[in-house]
Amino acid sequence: MQAATMDPAEEPPSLLWGMDPVFSAFARLYIKDILQMTESIQVPGIYFYNFHPIYKVDVLGTVVYKREREKFFCYGVDDGTGVINCLCWKNDLLKEAADPDKSAGKDSDGGQGGFNPAAELKKLKRAQQSRCRLEIGELLRVRGPVKTSRQQREIMASTFYKVNDPVMAVQIAWMMEVPQLYRQCYDKPLQLQPDASSDSAISPLGKATNIIKDFLKQRSVTRFRPYDVQELLEPLISNQRQAASADQEPVAGPSACQQLRQLLKETLQLLQDEGVVYRKVRSQDEVYNVTVQDKDLFIAVKDIITVDSKIEKYAEKGCHILHILTAVRHRYSLNVSKAVLELVLKSLECNSDIVSTRDNYYTVF
Amino acid sequence: MLPAAAVLYFPWEVTSGAVQEGASVRTFGRLVSYQPEESRATLSAQHASKEHHVVVCTSFVEPFNPIVGAQYVVLGEKENTDGDDVMVRARVLNCVDGVNIALLQKAINEQRSFFMERDCKQDNAAQSADAT
Repeated sequence: MQAATMDPAEEPPSLLWGMDPVFSAFARLYIKDILQMTESIQVPGIYFYNFHPIYKVDVLGTVVYKREREKFFCYGVDDGTGVINCLCWKNDLLKEAADPDKSAGKDSDGGQGGFNPAAELKKLKRAQQSRCRLEIGELLRVRGPVKTSRQQREIMASTFYKVNDPVMAVQIAWMMEVPQLYRQCYDKPLQLQPDASSDSAISPLGKATNIIKDFLKQRSVTRFRPYDVQELLEPLISNQRQAASADQEPVAGPSACQQLRQLLKETLQLLQDEGVVYRKVRSQDEVYNVTVQDKDLFIAVKDIITVDSKIEKYAEKGCHILHILTAVRHRYSLNVSKAVLELVLKSLECNSDIVSTRDNYYTVF
Repeated sequence: MLPAAAVLYFPWEVTSGAVQEGASVRTFGRLVSYQPEESRATLSAQHASKEHHVVVCTSFVEPFNPIVGAQYVVLGEKENTDGDDVMVRARVLNCVDGVNIALLQKAINEQRSFFMERDCKQDNAAQSADAT
């Protein structure tokens, strides 16, 4: 379970670290575990708890040791499972605060009624200061990356402050919460999706849609017929057949040509459902118009909104998308679907040709 | 050098033999008496209809403001004295009056059961690794 027992060779590849949500979070680990995590061989400064890459942590504990230097405090923090050094750099504020009397001198001015930002700021600074200077026995919360210096683990505080916890409410809440975090995150092995970028994860249909979308975009196609794009999908079918024939006897099934046509049909249907393409006229001749390239459609939609926005009924709120849809079907083409119209409206809006007054309502200024 | 980690124990565990001498502990109890001249305070807690007393040596944390009857948390090393009493030499003694003791006990148990659960799993994992 624990990282200490991990074989260095089993270290997850650094490429995948970012996929682990724990990696970019401040892990609320027990100090015992922070002290026992194995350091990465690939990248020093990264540690592994149970195969989770960790470099910054969040701890809460009692100060049991303190040392003050000119530029930093060193606090030993005890959370009941271990003690770790926390290096807490003093900010400029804390350094110049060597003589607090000076800054405390003129506060009373602000007290004469009215809000005095300068005095308030000073108060705020003093409050912040007092939260950075801790005595033994006080409760400290520290967040920051874990470092190893002189063979000792320590936390380089990026944030640290004294926690006021007169009735232990914060500590009790912490004690209740951390085991849950362990059960739900840290002790669970990371299960990455089987390589989402690789080919096997995407269905042939998904791949086919992507291929056609890319093709339409690259060539700025405005209109096409199915046989124009059919050959683009051929590699998909032949790949599939190769893969299939590799592990099993070829079975009698639809021929490659039939499969290809079927795939193309499904792909075009999907593209129509998404509104990427549509058929302006339903006829024997299967012509598909590419929505974003259809200048006439854009002009038609814009005209409808411009004209109808002037009608008293729509003047205030703008035109509803369904109203626009009816009008477009009436005046332009019966086959325009809502998905197509949404795509058109979105790109018109991106160009500031139209403005949405609220969800699904559009107008022109 | 950093001191050892002070593990949370219930007062009745400190007074019984559960904690070794010299071990760092953290425990809680109601302050029932304080003798400044001897630097000796007594915390008391009830458990299973019995009252348990933990004697605290306060020489490291003086001066402090003793509030008799208030809940305190002590952090320090367990020492055996000549008498039967168990003494904790306090490094930290905080007044936490108003603390929800029932909830604190629950939190301590929660943390312990988590560690037990995890150790169990580790043992199982180790055993299955040996077996293969």
